[in-house]
Amino acid sequence: MSLDLTAPRPPLLVVVGSGGVGKTTLAAALGLVSAGAGHDTLVMTFDPSRRLKDTLGVDEAAGGAEVDVAADTSGTLRASLLDARETFDRLVDRYAPTPEARDRILGNRYYDHLAGHLGGVLEYMAVERLYEVAAERRYRRVVLDTPPAREAIDFLEAPQRIVDFLDSGALKIALRPWFDHEGHLHAASGLLGRLGFVDRRLESFLDRVVGLKLLRDMSEFFLAFEPLFDGFRRRAEKVKELLADRGTVFVLVAGPGEQAIPDTLFFARRLADAGFRLGPIVVNRVHPDFPDADGDDAGHRLFRWLGERHRRALDELRRRLGGERPLIALPLVPHEPTDLGSLAAFGRDFQDRLAAARPASRRNAAKSP
Amino acid sequence: MKLDDRLGALRLLVVTGKGGTGKSVTATALGRILAARGRRTLLLEVDPRENLHHLCGVPPSGGEIVAVAPGLWLQNLKPEAVADWVVEKQIKVGVVARRILKSPVYHRFVEGAPGLTEIAILGHALRVVRGQLARAPAIDTVILDAPATGHGVFLLTAPRLFVDAIGEGPFAELARQVADFVSDPAKTGLAVVTLAEEMPVQEALELRAALAGKLGREPELLVANGLYPPAPDAGGDQPQGGDALTRLWHDRRRVNDKELARLAERWRGPRIELPLLPVDAGPELVAALAELLAGELNAEDAA
Repeated sequence: MSLDLTAPRPPLLVVVGSGGVGKTTLAAALGLVSAGAGHDTLVMTFDPSRRLKDTLGVDEAAGGAEVDVAADTSGTLRASLLDARETFDRLVDRYAPTPEARDRILGNRYYDHLAGHLGGVLEYMAVERLYEVAAERRYRRVVLDTPPAREAIDFLEAPQRIVDFLDSGALKIALRPWFDHEGHLHAASGLLGRLGFVDRRLESFLDRVVGLKLLRDMSEFFLAFEPLFDGFRRRAEKVKELLADRGTVFVLVAGPGEQAIPDTLFFARRLADAGFRLGPIVVNRVHPDFPDADGDDAGHRLFRWLGERHRRALDELRRRLGGERPLIALPLVPHEPTDLGSLAAFGRDFQDRLAAARPASRRNAAKSP
Repeated sequence: MKLDDRLGALRLLVVTGKGGTGKSVTATALGRILAARGRRTLLLEVDPRENLHHLCGVPPSGGEIVAVAPGLWLQNLKPEAVADWVVEKQIKVGVVARRILKSPVYHRFVEGAPGLTEIAILGHALRVVRGQLARAPAIDTVILDAPATGHGVFLLTAPRLFVDAIGEGPFAELARQVADFVSDPAKTGLAVVTLAEEMPVQEALELRAALAGKLGREPELLVANGLYPPAPDAGGDQPQGGDALTRLWHDRRRVNDKELARLAERWRGPRIELPLLPVDAGPELVAALAELLAGELNAEDAA
């Protein structure tokens, strides 16, 4: 689908892509264009560079809060830096039935490990926070940068994985018979009929292999978490609906060069299959083609080679996408944009290229009232 | 001590870096170098999509250890396979072990226990160099092309965390052995690959600080990869009358120079610079970079 950042819709932009391709920079630039067109905009980031952090004002002192970006835009522009642990804690705080239950979870050692290291926590929390912000309707548009990941697809799969994990009936059943609510190990008797032979073997295996200490922590955690499961599950459903909503558009960012093509095509297909709306595919940091630069030093040879390789890769990607989806190639710029001026210029360049990539019929339709 | 003597004495060299920094190419080039020095070397890749075979010029290995060149082997490791091996070792009855391996509870556990994947990967490397793997060649050094996600430092600190959290049982025992192995500077080393750009350099410096703080260790080597060629009038202003290519080249090289200066100031320890070459990723690029890298490693003191 086509995208126009100066238009009031869509209300949600999700910037996805594998690590190191410039997602955060693009998200910030999109936010500037959107706010520049008069729409109150929030940019939610995860992993900005030091200087981008300074520019947006989302340093450690801000601690996840939404802060005003000192940009001269007609709409307000705010930014936040997401922290998985903090969002997770807040969620526990919200869904825990009593303060005691909350403290039991937050003080649990297994939770400590889980919140910091379980794959997918950051991704899950990203969409959680997005859902909160969207529900509050304080912004005309929210631009969500996504956590760094090797593969773009992680972002979509991780939230479901973590809900499955937290809500894993199998795991709860496996752990429950081991400990009572005081955390004492007791003979697993009552539920064994239901568990059956293999699960009993599994328990004894887990006992031998994992050790009781971790199991006790896990068991306590799952027992304490149980009242929260319903809230979590319902929430995950809502988040899924939000991502699949007509008002949510994904912007896929990829690196230049041939090796990025399979990932890009794979992700585009997965988004479409899952019923999500994919907007433009952005190939970032494309080395420009310099057919007329005929120097013979190392720099000229290298840049001619890079330009030719990147152009060929773009042609190939365009061919394999079948020409229906806008493909925006952003050229490598002399310096990575980190201050507001260069970010705004980067965003304007993107917006211009978007407009040029839009089919002519759409362009005319957009002009009419 | 020369750097290549230092690297050549290690049993495990972990090569870490963000995606797009040329980490895999560097790991493969290091493998070529060690193998050429007579170290029997295994390149270990942990990625559902195989990539190193392409750099080595061999067909995908499908998880097996395959010979690539004299003294050089390659394996694509599935971490779950290592956890499965622990199960099979514990549960002697094959049919029961197989049913456990199919159980969703077991899979949730393997996915959910923080650090288990890391221990499985490192535990595999440990078994390889100890010759405990059935049907495997004798290996002197494992070069691990570390997963690009997250900080490489968690890979190395996970075993200790796991031991602290669990303490008992065979996984903890494996974790304890692995923790001792990776915290021994005579056995395990770390090479950090980065581009000379702001974000990757910042992350490399953070990784270095985290490693020092958590393990009291320093990386053996930093590779600043993908450098644009030095501009002829380096350090000067925008060249007047140069073509657009020359201007972009000079600007990008200036970014490199600035970040290299930051590294020179803040990175204590060996640093090696490698150029961006007009060669497609493959054995030819590996050979070219291995030659450059070998020359630097053989110098008495790098940077």
